[in-house]
Amino acid sequence: MTVTDNPTSTRRLNTSKAMVEAIAAEMDANPEVFYLGEDVGAYGGIFSSTTGLLDRFGPERVLDTPISETGFIGLAIGAATEGMRPIVELMFADFMGVCLDQIYNHMAKIHFESGGNVKVPMVLTTAVGGGYSDGAQHSQCLWGTFAHLPGMKVAPSTPADAKGLMTAAIRDDSPVIYMFHKGVMGLPWMAKNPRSIDVVPEGEHIVEIGKAAVAREGTDVTIVTVSLSVHHALDVAEKLDSDGISAEVIDLRSLVPLDRDAICASVAKTGRLVVVDEDYLSYGMSGEVVASVTDRDPSLFKAPPVRVAVPDIPIPYARPLEYAALPRQDRVEEAVRAVLR
Amino acid sequence: MTDVQFPVMSQKDPTAAGVVSTWYVADGEQVAADQLLAEVQLDKVDVEVPAPCGGTVHLSAEEGAEVVQGAVIARID
Repeated sequence: MTVTDNPTSTRRLNTSKAMVEAIAAEMDANPEVFYLGEDVGAYGGIFSSTTGLLDRFGPERVLDTPISETGFIGLAIGAATEGMRPIVELMFADFMGVCLDQIYNHMAKIHFESGGNVKVPMVLTTAVGGGYSDGAQHSQCLWGTFAHLPGMKVAPSTPADAKGLMTAAIRDDSPVIYMFHKGVMGLPWMAKNPRSIDVVPEGEHIVEIGKAAVAREGTDVTIVTVSLSVHHALDVAEKLDSDGISAEVIDLRSLVPLDRDAICASVAKTGRLVVVDEDYLSYGMSGEVVASVTDRDPSLFKAPPVRVAVPDIPIPYARPLEYAALPRQDRVEEAVRAVLR
Repeated sequence: MTDVQFPVMSQKDPTAAGVVSTWYVADGEQVAADQLLAEVQLDKVDVEVPAPCGGTVHLSAEEGAEVVQGAVIARID
Protein backbone atom coordinates (compact mmCIF):
# COMPACT_ATOMS: atom_id res chain seq x y z
CA MET A 1 0.00 0.00 0.00
CA THR A 2 1.26 3.45 -0.88
CA VAL A 3 1.35 5.74 2.09
CA THR A 4 0.96 9.39 1.32
CA ASP A 5 2.09 12.13 3.67
CA ASN A 6 -1.41 13.43 4.13
CA PRO A 7 -3.98 10.88 3.04
CA THR A 8 -6.83 13.28 3.81
CA SER A 9 -5.61 16.05 1.51
CA THR A 10 -8.37 15.07 -0.90
CA ARG A 11 -11.08 15.24 1.71
CA ARG A 12 -14.19 16.60 0.03
CA LEU A 13 -17.19 18.35 1.50
CA ASN A 14 -20.19 20.01 0.00
CA THR A 15 -20.59 23.75 0.42
CA SER A 16 -23.00 23.54 3.35
CA LYS A 17 -20.72 21.24 5.34
CA ALA A 18 -17.73 23.48 4.59
CA MET A 19 -19.68 26.50 5.81
CA VAL A 20 -20.73 24.69 9.01
CA GLU A 21 -17.16 23.52 9.61
CA ALA A 22 -15.95 27.13 9.57
CA ILE A 23 -18.72 28.29 11.91
CA ALA A 24 -18.09 25.42 14.34
CA ALA A 25 -14.34 26.07 14.40
CA GLU A 26 -14.88 29.75 15.19
CA MET A 27 -17.48 28.92 17.85
CA ASP A 28 -15.00 26.51 19.39
CA ALA A 29 -12.26 29.10 19.42
CA ASN A 30 -14.27 32.12 20.52
CA PRO A 31 -17.12 32.03 23.09
CA GLU A 32 -18.43 35.35 21.72
CA VAL A 33 -19.48 33.72 18.45
CA PHE A 34 -23.10 32.52 18.35
CA TYR A 35 -25.71 31.78 15.67
CA LEU A 36 -29.34 32.79 15.57
CA GLY A 37 -32.19 32.72 13.10
CA GLU A 38 -35.30 30.88 12.00
CA ASP A 39 -35.02 27.07 11.99
CA VAL A 40 -31.28 27.17 12.58
CA GLY A 41 -31.47 24.94 15.69
CA ALA A 42 -33.13 21.55 15.58
CA TYR A 43 -33.83 21.82 11.86
CA GLY A 44 -30.22 22.75 11.07
CA GLY A 45 -31.11 25.53 8.66
CA ILE A 46 -33.54 24.96 5.82
CA PHE A 47 -30.58 24.86 3.43
CA SER A 48 -28.32 23.00 5.89
CA SER A 49 -26.35 26.07 6.89
CA THR A 50 -26.24 25.03 10.59
CA THR A 51 -26.54 21.23 10.60
CA GLY A 52 -25.30 19.79 13.89
CA LEU A 53 -24.48 23.10 15.57
CA LEU A 54 -27.28 22.87 18.14
CA ASP A 55 -26.15 19.40 19.28
CA ARG A 56 -22.60 20.61 19.57
CA PHE A 57 -23.02 24.02 21.16
CA GLY A 58 -26.44 23.95 22.81
CA PRO A 59 -29.42 26.31 22.75
CA GLU A 60 -27.59 29.20 24.41
CA ARG A 61 -25.30 29.60 21.42
CA VAL A 62 -27.56 28.35 18.63
CA LEU A 63 -30.84 30.21 18.94
CA ASP A 64 -34.07 29.44 17.14
CA THR A 65 -35.89 32.72 16.75
CA PRO A 66 -39.53 33.53 16.08
CA ILE A 67 -40.50 34.98 12.70
CA SER A 68 -39.46 38.47 13.70
CA GLU A 69 -36.55 39.51 11.50
CA THR A 70 -36.43 43.11 12.70
CA GLY A 71 -36.27 41.90 16.29
CA PHE A 72 -33.64 39.22 16.01
CA ILE A 73 -31.40 41.03 13.53
CA GLY A 74 -31.60 44.01 15.86
CA LEU A 75 -30.62 41.67 18.70
CA ALA A 76 -27.56 40.59 16.74
CA ILE A 77 -26.56 44.18 16.01
CA GLY A 78 -26.86 45.07 19.69
CA ALA A 79 -24.79 42.06 20.69
CA ALA A 80 -22.15 42.97 18.11
CA THR A 81 -21.86 46.55 19.31
CA GLU A 82 -21.32 45.15 22.82
CA GLY A 83 -18.43 43.00 21.65
CA MET A 84 -19.97 39.67 20.73
CA ARG A 85 -19.63 38.14 17.27
CA PRO A 86 -23.11 37.06 16.21
CA ILE A 87 -23.96 35.24 13.03
CA VAL A 88 -27.57 35.94 12.20
CA GLU A 89 -29.45 34.19 9.44
CA LEU A 90 -32.08 35.81 7.25
CA MET A 91 -33.76 32.70 5.89
CA PHE A 92 -34.16 34.09 2.37
CA ALA A 93 -32.56 37.27 1.01
CA ASP A 94 -36.00 37.92 -0.44
CA PHE A 95 -37.20 38.69 3.10
CA MET A 96 -34.90 41.69 3.47
CA GLY A 97 -37.91 43.93 3.03
CA VAL A 98 -39.25 43.29 6.50
CA CYS A 99 -35.98 44.12 8.27
CA LEU A 100 -34.04 46.40 5.95
CA ASP A 101 -33.96 49.30 8.41
CA GLN A 102 -31.97 47.20 10.87
CA ILE A 103 -29.62 46.10 8.10
CA TYR A 104 -28.84 49.27 6.21
CA ASN A 105 -29.59 52.02 8.71
CA HIS A 106 -28.16 50.35 11.80
CA MET A 107 -25.84 47.42 11.03
CA ALA A 108 -24.24 49.25 8.12
CA LYS A 109 -24.04 52.74 9.58
CA ILE A 110 -23.27 52.46 13.31
CA HIS A 111 -19.52 52.38 12.74
CA PHE A 112 -19.70 55.54 10.62
CA GLU A 113 -22.15 57.38 12.83
CA SER A 114 -20.11 56.67 15.95
CA GLY A 115 -17.11 58.28 14.34
CA GLY A 116 -15.47 54.90 14.11
CA ASN A 117 -15.77 54.31 17.85
CA VAL A 118 -18.25 51.43 17.71
CA LYS A 119 -17.52 48.26 15.79
CA VAL A 120 -20.21 45.91 14.47
CA PRO A 121 -18.41 42.57 14.07
CA MET A 122 -21.26 40.41 12.82
CA VAL A 123 -22.17 38.19 9.90
CA LEU A 124 -25.58 38.20 8.26
CA THR A 125 -26.03 34.92 6.43
CA THR A 126 -28.78 34.53 3.88
CA ALA A 127 -29.88 32.07 1.21
CA VAL A 128 -30.15 33.38 -2.33
CA GLY A 129 -30.96 32.24 -5.82
CA GLY A 130 -33.43 30.30 -7.90
CA GLY A 131 -33.62 27.38 -10.24
CA TYR A 132 -35.84 25.09 -8.20
CA SER A 133 -39.34 26.58 -8.69
CA ASP A 134 -39.74 28.45 -5.44
CA GLY A 135 -41.50 31.44 -6.92
CA ALA A 136 -40.81 35.15 -7.22
CA GLN A 137 -40.51 35.80 -3.47
CA HIS A 138 -38.02 32.98 -2.72
CA SER A 139 -35.70 32.93 -5.74
CA GLN A 140 -33.93 36.26 -5.88
CA CYS A 141 -30.23 36.96 -5.36
CA LEU A 142 -30.57 40.67 -4.57
CA TRP A 143 -26.85 41.04 -3.91
CA GLY A 144 -26.84 44.12 -6.11
CA THR A 145 -29.30 45.73 -3.71
CA PHE A 146 -27.18 44.91 -0.65
CA ALA A 147 -23.97 45.93 -2.42
CA HIS A 148 -25.50 49.25 -3.45
CA LEU A 149 -25.85 50.29 0.19
CA PRO A 150 -22.55 51.52 1.66
CA GLY A 151 -20.95 50.16 4.80
CA MET A 152 -21.21 46.46 4.21
CA LYS A 153 -19.24 43.73 2.57
CA VAL A 154 -20.97 41.07 0.55
CA ALA A 155 -19.46 37.66 0.10
CA PRO A 156 -21.27 35.17 -2.07
CA SER A 157 -19.25 32.00 -2.25
CA THR A 158 -18.42 29.01 -4.33
CA PRO A 159 -17.99 25.69 -2.54
CA ALA A 160 -14.21 25.72 -2.32
CA ASP A 161 -14.31 29.16 -0.68
CA ALA A 162 -17.29 28.70 1.61
CA LYS A 163 -15.13 27.77 4.57
CA GLY A 164 -12.41 30.34 4.02
CA LEU A 165 -14.76 33.25 3.39
CA MET A 166 -16.90 32.33 6.41
CA THR A 167 -13.84 32.27 8.65
CA ALA A 168 -12.79 35.66 7.31
CA ALA A 169 -16.33 37.03 7.70
CA ILE A 170 -16.61 35.98 11.36
CA ARG A 171 -13.22 37.49 12.19
CA ASP A 172 -13.94 40.75 10.34
CA ASP A 173 -14.63 43.71 12.63
CA SER A 174 -17.19 45.09 10.17
CA PRO A 175 -20.53 43.58 9.21
CA VAL A 176 -20.36 41.02 6.42
CA ILE A 177 -23.34 39.73 4.49
CA TYR A 178 -22.60 36.15 3.54
CA MET A 179 -24.93 35.10 0.72
CA PHE A 180 -25.00 31.41 -0.01
CA HIS A 181 -26.73 30.24 -3.18
CA LYS A 182 -29.00 27.26 -2.57
CA GLY A 183 -27.70 25.71 -5.78
CA VAL A 184 -24.10 25.53 -4.56
CA MET A 185 -24.83 24.00 -1.15
CA GLY A 186 -24.74 20.42 -2.44
CA LEU A 187 -28.05 19.44 -0.89
CA PRO A 188 -29.23 15.93 -1.72
CA TRP A 189 -32.79 17.12 -2.38
CA MET A 190 -31.80 19.79 -4.90
CA ALA A 191 -30.70 19.27 -8.50
CA LYS A 192 -27.34 17.49 -8.54
CA ASN A 193 -24.43 19.88 -8.92
CA PRO A 194 -21.06 18.10 -9.02
CA ARG A 195 -19.24 21.42 -8.55
CA SER A 196 -20.85 21.81 -5.12
CA ILE A 197 -18.57 19.10 -3.76
CA ASP A 198 -14.87 19.81 -3.64
CA VAL A 199 -11.72 19.45 -1.63
CA VAL A 200 -11.86 21.61 1.50
CA PRO A 201 -8.68 22.25 3.50
CA GLU A 202 -8.76 20.86 7.03
CA GLY A 203 -7.91 23.05 10.00
CA GLU A 204 -7.77 26.82 9.78
CA HIS A 205 -8.55 28.11 6.31
CA ILE A 206 -9.05 31.80 5.51
CA VAL A 207 -9.89 33.39 2.18
CA GLU A 208 -9.42 37.14 2.14
CA ILE A 209 -12.65 38.95 1.30
CA GLY A 210 -12.25 41.13 -1.77
CA LYS A 211 -9.87 39.03 -3.84
CA ALA A 212 -11.34 37.45 -6.95
CA ALA A 213 -10.22 34.01 -8.10
CA VAL A 214 -9.37 32.92 -11.63
CA ALA A 215 -11.59 29.85 -11.70
CA ARG A 216 -10.29 28.95 -15.16
CA GLU A 217 -7.61 30.55 -17.28
CA GLY A 218 -8.29 31.50 -20.89
CA THR A 219 -7.20 33.89 -23.61
CA ASP A 220 -10.15 34.69 -25.93
CA VAL A 221 -12.88 36.01 -23.66
CA THR A 222 -13.37 36.86 -19.98
CA ILE A 223 -16.47 35.68 -18.14
CA VAL A 224 -16.88 37.58 -14.87
CA THR A 225 -19.40 36.21 -12.43
CA VAL A 226 -20.08 35.03 -8.89
CA SER A 227 -21.65 32.16 -6.92
CA LEU A 228 -23.67 29.52 -8.81
CA SER A 229 -23.11 31.28 -12.12
CA VAL A 230 -19.40 30.45 -11.77
CA HIS A 231 -20.40 26.79 -12.08
CA HIS A 232 -22.49 27.52 -15.18
CA ALA A 233 -19.67 29.59 -16.70
CA LEU A 234 -17.20 26.74 -16.12
CA ASP A 235 -19.61 24.31 -17.80
CA VAL A 236 -19.76 26.61 -20.82
CA ALA A 237 -15.99 27.21 -20.87
CA GLU A 238 -15.33 23.48 -20.86
CA LYS A 239 -17.81 22.93 -23.67
CA LEU A 240 -16.41 25.76 -25.83
CA ASP A 241 -12.89 24.48 -25.33
CA SER A 242 -13.60 21.75 -27.88
CA ASP A 243 -14.60 24.46 -30.37
CA GLY A 244 -11.24 26.14 -29.93
CA ILE A 245 -12.62 28.96 -27.76
CA SER A 246 -10.54 29.70 -24.67
CA ALA A 247 -12.67 31.35 -22.00
CA GLU A 248 -11.30 32.75 -18.76
CA VAL A 249 -13.68 32.58 -15.79
CA ILE A 250 -13.29 35.10 -12.99
CA ASP A 251 -15.05 34.28 -9.71
CA LEU A 252 -15.52 37.59 -7.95
CA ARG A 253 -16.15 35.90 -4.56
CA SER A 254 -17.43 39.21 -3.20
CA LEU A 255 -19.24 42.22 -4.60
CA VAL A 256 -18.02 44.59 -1.88
CA PRO A 257 -15.09 44.94 -2.01
CA LEU A 258 -15.14 44.40 -5.78
CA ASP A 259 -11.83 43.21 -7.21
CA ARG A 260 -11.68 45.67 -10.08
CA ASP A 261 -7.97 44.96 -10.62
CA ALA A 262 -8.72 41.32 -11.38
CA ILE A 263 -11.49 42.27 -13.81
CA CYS A 264 -9.30 44.76 -15.67
CA ALA A 265 -6.29 42.43 -15.72
CA SER A 266 -8.32 39.71 -17.38
CA VAL A 267 -10.00 42.02 -19.90
CA ALA A 268 -6.59 43.51 -20.72
CA LYS A 269 -5.59 39.99 -21.73
CA THR A 270 -8.71 38.93 -23.65
CA GLY A 271 -10.29 42.21 -24.80
CA ARG A 272 -13.75 40.68 -24.53
CA LEU A 273 -16.08 40.58 -21.54
CA VAL A 274 -19.22 38.68 -20.66
CA VAL A 275 -20.71 39.42 -17.24
CA VAL A 276 -23.04 36.81 -15.80
CA ASP A 277 -25.24 37.88 -12.89
CA GLU A 278 -28.13 35.95 -11.37
CA ASP A 279 -29.61 39.23 -10.18
CA TYR A 280 -31.71 41.76 -12.04
CA LEU A 281 -30.09 43.35 -15.08
CA SER A 282 -30.64 47.03 -14.45
CA TYR A 283 -28.67 49.06 -11.87
CA GLY A 284 -26.78 46.02 -10.68
CA MET A 285 -23.54 44.05 -10.55
CA SER A 286 -23.32 43.52 -14.30
CA GLY A 287 -23.25 47.25 -15.01
CA GLU A 288 -20.78 47.82 -12.18
CA VAL A 289 -18.37 45.25 -13.60
CA VAL A 290 -18.50 46.84 -17.05
CA ALA A 291 -17.94 50.28 -15.49
CA SER A 292 -14.92 48.91 -13.66
CA VAL A 293 -13.27 48.57 -17.06
CA THR A 294 -14.64 51.68 -18.81
CA ASP A 295 -13.76 53.91 -15.84
CA ARG A 296 -10.12 52.92 -16.23
CA ASP A 297 -9.57 52.21 -19.90
CA PRO A 298 -12.41 51.67 -22.37
CA SER A 299 -9.84 50.92 -25.07
CA LEU A 300 -9.30 47.51 -23.46
CA PHE A 301 -12.50 46.36 -25.18
CA LYS A 302 -12.13 44.85 -28.65
CA ALA A 303 -15.91 44.35 -28.70
CA PRO A 304 -18.82 45.75 -26.67
CA PRO A 305 -19.23 43.81 -23.42
CA VAL A 306 -22.27 41.56 -23.06
CA ARG A 307 -24.35 41.21 -19.90
CA VAL A 308 -26.30 38.07 -19.05
CA ALA A 309 -28.61 38.63 -16.09
CA VAL A 310 -32.17 38.16 -14.90
CA PRO A 311 -34.39 40.42 -16.99
CA ASP A 312 -36.23 43.06 -14.96
CA ILE A 313 -39.18 40.80 -14.18
CA PRO A 314 -40.24 38.75 -11.14
CA ILE A 315 -38.70 35.27 -11.35
CA PRO A 316 -41.37 32.87 -12.66
CA TYR A 317 -42.42 29.71 -10.82
CA ALA A 318 -42.99 27.53 -13.91
CA ARG A 319 -39.70 25.72 -14.54
CA PRO A 320 -39.34 26.46 -18.28
CA LEU A 321 -40.11 30.13 -17.69
CA GLU A 322 -37.80 30.26 -14.70
CA TYR A 323 -34.97 28.67 -16.67
CA ALA A 324 -35.58 31.18 -19.48
CA ALA A 325 -35.22 34.05 -17.00
CA LEU A 326 -32.12 32.77 -15.19
CA PRO A 327 -28.61 33.13 -16.67
CA ARG A 328 -28.09 29.46 -17.30
CA GLN A 329 -25.59 27.69 -19.55
CA ASP A 330 -27.54 28.26 -22.79
CA ARG A 331 -27.65 32.03 -22.39
CA VAL A 332 -24.02 32.22 -21.23
CA GLU A 333 -22.85 30.24 -24.26
CA GLU A 334 -24.87 32.42 -26.61
CA ALA A 335 -23.31 35.55 -25.08
CA VAL A 336 -19.77 34.22 -25.33
CA ARG A 337 -20.28 33.35 -28.98
CA ALA A 338 -21.84 36.79 -29.61
CA VAL A 339 -18.97 38.72 -28.06
CA LEU A 340 -16.49 36.79 -30.20
CA ARG A 341 -18.30 37.48 -33.46
CA MET B 1 -10.53 -5.47 4.49
CA THR B 2 -13.47 -3.66 6.05
CA ASP B 3 -16.97 -3.50 4.67
CA VAL B 4 -18.88 -0.25 4.72
CA GLN B 5 -22.60 -0.80 5.09
CA PHE B 6 -25.62 1.31 4.34
CA PRO B 7 -26.54 2.36 7.89
CA VAL B 8 -29.64 0.91 9.50
CA MET B 9 -31.97 3.90 9.67
CA SER B 10 -35.35 2.21 10.03
CA GLN B 11 -35.71 -0.13 13.00
CA LYS B 12 -39.36 -0.78 12.11
CA ASP B 13 -38.65 -2.16 8.66
CA PRO B 14 -35.39 -4.16 8.41
CA THR B 15 -35.80 -4.47 4.63
CA ALA B 16 -36.23 -0.74 4.06
CA ALA B 17 -34.27 0.60 1.11
CA GLY B 18 -32.65 4.01 0.78
CA VAL B 19 -30.50 5.86 -1.70
CA VAL B 20 -26.78 6.57 -1.82
CA SER B 21 -27.35 10.24 -2.51
CA THR B 22 -23.75 11.48 -2.69
CA TRP B 23 -20.30 9.93 -2.84
CA TYR B 24 -17.64 12.22 -1.43
CA VAL B 25 -14.80 9.93 -2.51
CA ALA B 26 -13.82 8.38 -5.80
CA ASP B 27 -13.28 4.69 -6.37
CA GLY B 28 -9.69 3.70 -5.54
CA GLU B 29 -8.97 6.80 -3.49
CA GLN B 30 -6.98 6.83 -0.26
CA VAL B 31 -9.12 7.73 2.72
CA ALA B 32 -8.43 8.35 6.39
CA ALA B 33 -10.45 6.96 9.28
CA ASP B 34 -13.58 9.07 9.92
CA GLN B 35 -13.30 10.85 6.59
CA LEU B 36 -16.69 11.55 5.03
CA LEU B 37 -17.39 8.84 2.45
CA ALA B 38 -21.01 9.32 1.52
CA GLU B 39 -24.38 10.72 2.37
CA VAL B 40 -27.34 8.36 2.24
CA GLN B 41 -31.05 9.03 2.44
CA LEU B 42 -33.93 6.95 3.70
CA ASP B 43 -37.45 8.28 4.22
CA LYS B 44 -36.22 11.86 3.68
CA VAL B 45 -33.62 11.51 6.44
CA ASP B 46 -29.96 12.16 5.55
CA VAL B 47 -27.14 10.33 7.27
CA GLU B 48 -23.41 10.72 6.77
CA VAL B 49 -21.29 7.61 6.31
CA PRO B 50 -17.74 8.08 7.65
CA ALA B 51 -14.84 5.75 6.89
CA PRO B 52 -14.55 3.10 9.65
CA CYS B 53 -10.79 2.92 9.00
CA GLY B 54 -8.11 4.25 6.69
CA GLY B 55 -7.08 2.66 3.41
CA THR B 56 -8.06 2.38 -0.24
CA VAL B 57 -11.78 2.66 -0.82
CA HIS B 58 -13.64 0.56 -3.39
CA LEU B 59 -17.18 1.64 -4.14
CA SER B 60 -19.81 -1.00 -4.82
CA ALA B 61 -22.93 1.15 -5.22
CA GLU B 62 -23.61 3.81 -7.81
CA GLU B 63 -24.58 7.30 -6.74
CA GLY B 64 -28.36 7.47 -6.83
CA ALA B 65 -28.71 3.70 -6.50
CA GLU B 66 -31.40 2.25 -4.25
CA VAL B 67 -29.84 0.07 -1.57
CA VAL B 68 -31.34 -2.02 1.24
CA GLN B 69 -30.13 -0.88 4.63
CA GLY B 70 -27.30 -3.01 5.95
CA ALA B 71 -26.06 -3.83 2.44
CA VAL B 72 -22.39 -3.30 1.64
CA ILE B 73 -21.83 -0.10 -0.34
CA ALA B 74 -18.03 0.03 -0.20
CA ARG B 75 -14.94 -1.84 0.95
CA ILE B 76 -11.77 -0.42 2.44
CA ASP B 77 -8.47 -2.29 1.96
